[in-house]
Amino acid sequence: MRRSRFPFIVTGLVLVFFYLPILILVVDSFNSSRFGGAWRGFSLKWYARLFHEPAVWESARNTLFIALLVTFVSLVLGTTSALALHRFSTSRLQRFHYTLVYTPLVVPEILMGISLLMAFVAAGIRLGILTIILAHVTFCVSYVALTVLGRLQDFDFTIVEAARDLGASSWVAARRVLLPMLAPGLAAAGLIAFTLSVDDFVITFFVAGPGATTLPIRVYSMIKHGATPLINALSTLLLALTFTTVLISQRLSASGALKSRTPE
Amino acid sequence: MKTHAVPRFVLAAAVVAAGLLAGQCGGGKKDQPVLHLYTWSDYIKPGLVSRFESENGCRVVIDTFDSNEAMYAKLKAGATGYDVITPTSYMVSLMHSQGMLRTLDHGLLPNLSHVDPDYLSIAIDKKMAYSVPYMLTNSGIAYLKSKVGNFAPTWGMFDRADLKGRMVMLNDMRETIGAALKFLGYSLNSTDPAELARAKDVVLGWKANLAKFENEQYKNGIASGEFLLVHGYSGDILQVQAENQDIAFAMPREGGAISCDDLVIARSAREVKLAHAYINFLHDPAVAAENTGFIQFLCPNKDSYGMLDRSIRENPGIFLAPEIRAKCEVLADLGEKNALYVKVWDDIKNGM
Repeated sequence: MRRSRFPFIVTGLVLVFFYLPILILVVDSFNSSRFGGAWRGFSLKWYARLFHEPAVWESARNTLFIALLVTFVSLVLGTTSALALHRFSTSRLQRFHYTLVYTPLVVPEILMGISLLMAFVAAGIRLGILTIILAHVTFCVSYVALTVLGRLQDFDFTIVEAARDLGASSWVAARRVLLPMLAPGLAAAGLIAFTLSVDDFVITFFVAGPGATTLPIRVYSMIKHGATPLINALSTLLLALTFTTVLISQRLSASGALKSRTPE
Repeated sequence: MKTHAVPRFVLAAAVVAAGLLAGQCGGGKKDQPVLHLYTWSDYIKPGLVSRFESENGCRVVIDTFDSNEAMYAKLKAGATGYDVITPTSYMVSLMHSQGMLRTLDHGLLPNLSHVDPDYLSIAIDKKMAYSVPYMLTNSGIAYLKSKVGNFAPTWGMFDRADLKGRMVMLNDMRETIGAALKFLGYSLNSTDPAELARAKDVVLGWKANLAKFENEQYKNGIASGEFLLVHGYSGDILQVQAENQDIAFAMPREGGAISCDDLVIARSAREVKLAHAYINFLHDPAVAAENTGFIQFLCPNKDSYGMLDRSIRENPGIFLAPEIRAKCEVLADLGEKNALYVKVWDDIKNGM
C-alpha cells in the first residue's frame, strides 16, 4: 500500500501560509519601488533611510526596554505563581487562583486596554513607560505561569526531595536543582513574554503616555504618511533579531541539556 | 562556584534593562519645559522641531496615533499629558462639542492674520475659536496621460464607456456619493433625500464602468498601468507620481472634498503658553512654506504661497486654483443624518 500524500500536502500548505508573507515582506524591503506591486530593482535605500529616522529608534529603544523588564518581572511572578498552583493543586483557593490566572488569556484585548487605562486614570498614575510595563506584566504573567505549570506537571519532585535529604537547604535545593531543571521551560516562557510585549499594539496604545511611543504604535501611525517600505526594512531587521535570539536560545538549551546528562 | 544558565540569563536581562533605563533618564535636561504633541507620524519637517526647541528653550516630545477614532477613544477614556493635537476637522467638532478642547487665546497667536481667508470661509470653525487649520489635502482624479485620450477635469469622466473596467472609485460613501453630488451641482454635505436619490443614480451609472470601489490597491494599480483612471487622495497620488511620470492628477472643475487636519490644544494641556507659541510658529509664513514643501500637503497660510516652489504651486495635488477651491467643501460630521448616506451606499453596493 502506498503512503498517502495528503499529510505532506497539508504540511506544505501550512508552511507556505506561515512563511510566504514573511518572505514577501523581506523581498519588498529591498525593492526600490515604494509600492509592492512591481519590482523596480534591488536597493538598500530604505535601510539607509531607516538610519536617519531618530523617532523610529527612540521607539525601538522604548520597546526593548519595556520588553526586557516585562520579561524579568513576569518570569519571577509567573514562576512563583505556577509553583503554588502545582503544589497545592487540590486546594479550593488554588483552583480559584488558576481561574484568575487563566482569565486574562480570554479577555478581549481592547477591553483590557480600556479598563487598564481607566484604572490608571482613576488611581492618578501618570501614563508613560511605567503604565505600559504594568499592563504588559498583567497579561504576560498568565502566559508564563501556564507555560511553567505545563513543565511542572511532568517534573519529578523526588529529585528535589533527594537534595533536601542530602542536606541542601530549601533555598539551595531550589536554586541548584529545581531552577536548572526548569530552565528550558523558563526560557520558553521568557521568550513568549518578550515576544508578546514587543508585539502588543491594542493594550499598549491605550496605556501609553506622552513620550512613551513603542514600535508597534509608531509603525501603525507610519501607514498614513510614512513610507511603508521603511516598515518592511524595520520588520526585516526585527525578524533577523528574533531568529538570532531563538537560535541562540535553542543552542543554549541544547548544550545545557547535554551538560546535565554528563556525569560529574 | 558554578552558576547556572537561568540566573545568568535573568541577570543579563536585568543589566541590559538597567543600562537602557539609565539612557532613558539621562536624556533631557530636567529644568526645560516639555511640549507634548500628539499627531500623525512624519507630520512636521524635523528641522523645524529643533528650531522651535532652541527658540523657546524647550523640548518637544512627539507621540503618534494612526486614526482619529483611536485617538478620540483614548482621550475620552481619560488619557492626559498631551498639549497640541492634530485631528481632522470632523473630529475637531466632535471633541469641541465634548468640551475636550481649549478656547484659543488670539492674543498669543499674532500669525493667525496669515491664515488663508478663502479656506476659512469653507472651514467648520471659521473664527478659529478652538482650532487652527494645519494641513489641507483634497481628493480628485489621477489618470495615465498616455492611455486616456481627451481627458477633461470633470467627475463625468467616470461615464466614459471606453475606459470601462479600467477605472476605480474610492470605497468611501462620503467621498464617492459626494463626488456625484458635486457633479450634479449640490453640496457634498447635502441631506436632501431628493438630491441624494439623484446622486445615487449617477453613481450607479458610473459603477457600470468601474472595476471596483477600492481604497488602497488603486495606488499600485495605477502605478503598474492596470487601472487607467482612479478617484483618489492627492497625498497618495503624489507618492505614486514620484515613480511613474505618466500619471497626472486633476481636480474636477465641479469641485470635490477637501480635508483638513487642525491644530488644537487639549483641555488638559499643561504647557498652554508653549502650545500657543507652537501654533503661532507653524503659521509663520516662512515656516509654513518650508513645512508644505516637506510634507507635500498645503498649509493654508496665504502669505506663504508666494514662497512655495513653482513645482508645488503648479501641482493640483497640492495647490488648487482659487476658482476651483471655492467650489470644494470640507466633509462635515452629519450626526444622525449619516444614516441617509449609509442607506444610499448600501443600495449602490447592492446594485439597486
